[in-house]
Amino acid sequence: MAKLAVRMQVVQFGVFAGLALLVARAAQVQIVQGRRWAEEAKAQRTERIVLAARRGTLYDRHGTPLAVTQETYHVGIAPNELRDPAADGALISRRLGLPSRSWQEALRKRYAYFAGPYSALEVQPLRTVRGVHLEAVLNRFYPDPGVARATIGRLGDDGRGGSGLEKTLDTLLAGRSGAAVVLKDRAGREYESPARVIAAPVPGLDVVLTLDAELQEIAQRALDDALRRMDADGGDVVMLDPTSGEVLALASRTREGSARPSAFTDTFEPGSIAKIFAAAGLLALRRVTPADHVSGEGGKWRLPGRTITDEDPQPSLTLADAIRVSSNIGIVKFAARLEPNEQYVMLRDFGFGSPTGIEFPAEAGGRLRPPSEWQRPSAASLAMGYELSVTPIQVAMAYGALANDGVLLQPTLVREVRGGSGSVEGGGGATGTVRYRHRPEPVRRVVSPAVAGALRELLRGVVEHGTGTEAALTNFPVAAKTGTARRVVNGRYAAGEYTASFAALFPAERPQLVLVVKIDNPHKGSYFAAQTAAPVTRSMLEQALAARNVALDRARLSTAVPRAVAAPIEDDGGVVPYVVPWPYHPDSAAVGARRAVPDVTGLGIREAVRALHRRGFRVALRGWGAAEHTWPAADDSANAGSVVTLFAQPSLRVAPSAPTRAPSSPRRPRR
Amino acid sequence: MIRGRHWVAAWLVAFLATTWIVYARQTAAIRAARELTDLRARRANLEGHRADLERRIRTAESRAVLVPRAQARLGLHLPSDSEIVLIPAAGGSR
Repeated sequence: MAKLAVRMQVVQFGVFAGLALLVARAAQVQIVQGRRWAEEAKAQRTERIVLAARRGTLYDRHGTPLAVTQETYHVGIAPNELRDPAADGALISRRLGLPSRSWQEALRKRYAYFAGPYSALEVQPLRTVRGVHLEAVLNRFYPDPGVARATIGRLGDDGRGGSGLEKTLDTLLAGRSGAAVVLKDRAGREYESPARVIAAPVPGLDVVLTLDAELQEIAQRALDDALRRMDADGGDVVMLDPTSGEVLALASRTREGSARPSAFTDTFEPGSIAKIFAAAGLLALRRVTPADHVSGEGGKWRLPGRTITDEDPQPSLTLADAIRVSSNIGIVKFAARLEPNEQYVMLRDFGFGSPTGIEFPAEAGGRLRPPSEWQRPSAASLAMGYELSVTPIQVAMAYGALANDGVLLQPTLVREVRGGSGSVEGGGGATGTVRYRHRPEPVRRVVSPAVAGALRELLRGVVEHGTGTEAALTNFPVAAKTGTARRVVNGRYAAGEYTASFAALFPAERPQLVLVVKIDNPHKGSYFAAQTAAPVTRSMLEQALAARNVALDRARLSTAVPRAVAAPIEDDGGVVPYVVPWPYHPDSAAVGARRAVPDVTGLGIREAVRALHRRGFRVALRGWGAAEHTWPAADDSANAGSVVTLFAQPSLRVAPSAPTRAPSSPRRPRR
Repeated sequence: MIRGRHWVAAWLVAFLATTWIVYARQTAAIRAARELTDLRARRANLEGHRADLERRIRTAESRAVLVPRAQARLGLHLPSDSEIVLIPAAGGSR
């Protein structure tokens, strides 16, 4: 018995010890290591996910989307979950565009994954199919991929801006990702329960570019046609508004069809289009009078170490003649009246030798050597546009300074930054508050308005009687300069290789458009800019004039009756602001006054359009419903006859019929 | 004794009621989540549809499509500047 009692005590002790161990372990797990195990358990049943922010949209200046972010899908298929593998499989393979072999391979897998990405339209019929798992992802789309591709750029593999404006504006466009916690089951699959949002994603800002989609298309098509016709190596077209520095179109192409941003990044020797800057120095420093003549030397002039020739020999030349016929001898002789430093400062003041500061990554600054690095013929070379490398955008801005009464502006590609909505809503166009609106940013005054006017007259002579007649329009005066420069290949001037360039101001009086056309190495036909780049310019101008909504102030171009412009608009109850005088008088063009854009928010479309017409604006309508906002915005000023884009949204409540509200603040002229 | 049973029953009813409320709330939340997901999908679908239509409209309106067709079918041509008459903005006159 005693033995039995001992045994019982041992068993009791064992049980007690076991229980004690259990309690101790429980205490260890629950109390000592409790936090760690709790976190592990939480990690097993919950997951922290990143909520991607919608990237802001890029629009052209009229609200046409150029780059948008849309929801797309990756598709996962669990073959064993399909109810009717044959029928479902046929539907899935048809919607995803899978060849039957791929689908058969997918059926053999436990879980097949198709990265796509597939659009919402493509996967819509698959939403109700059991066994199909859709994973939504935001993706960047370019509605018209060919438009300004090099300028807009693309995203990198990490979803951030990889090139072009997508890269420069990445911090504005990207937004801020959010985070959420979701519940998971044993297998790690997310429950359908709502996620607990820790931080909501903040969508990126929408950016309205200065580009005009229609002008861009005109420029691209004209350049493509020219390269094909001339069998050229490549080319660039730049169009900008000289009064604001806004770039309206940028086209760059190579023979292979690739679109590099060469208007910003590739430099060239401008040749004769730079002669006007030597003339600017001569006129600004009063080193020449209109009556001054120099000898044309019979078209061939020997200098120590080099011979300068003219294509169109003249017995004697004024400065105007030298520009008109693009005389190398004439401009070199006149430019000799400038000190090297004066010549250098004038070119530098026009912006050569340093980047323009436009919002584009890796912009080239070109090359302009200081006089201390010049050699004996450098002054003559610079007067003719050699020993100087420039980008097309620099040339456009320098000519823009001539158009803008001598003030050099900083170019820009960004017109507005808008925030608040983060998505494309309504009938298209950016919504939300305006965070930034571009105003012209003067860099410096290069020449006086009088000198700028005189230089424009010289350029006008080029188109009317000189080398640029191929760019002349019948009813509208154009001022321009041709340039045909030898090309440098591997550090030497290559025989038979030329760059033909043309810089134009349209119209010659109060220019609204600066165009620069550059054709690299045309092989077919003439290589002179007068026969290559000049006709391309004329073609683009004609198309721009005929286009509906390009950024041209037609009121200023038109043949307005001066007293009719001065008539009070507010008193007019009609909706017919345009009058056609007949017969047609091409030279009676008058300037349309700048007027405040009325606030039409909340009005019905018909009423809003009528109010804008009454103010003398043309109207481009986007969307339907009630007026939401306008471009230019309410209270901003715009030229009479220019296009105001009216954005309407169906969701807005239409305000009761009432007279147009007067501008709430004093009129703010842009300049 | 009876009083004690009543207490037990009351606690049981309270427990069941609470459980039912929790269950109902979760069911409603899941249903709302499903509806939200469906609406999101529908919106994405409509946005995709709109983007597709806009793209097709823009392609159809583009010069690359219109100009050759207008030339071939209607015998039209791009106007030279002498064929373009801009109508001046004459303000208030009719």
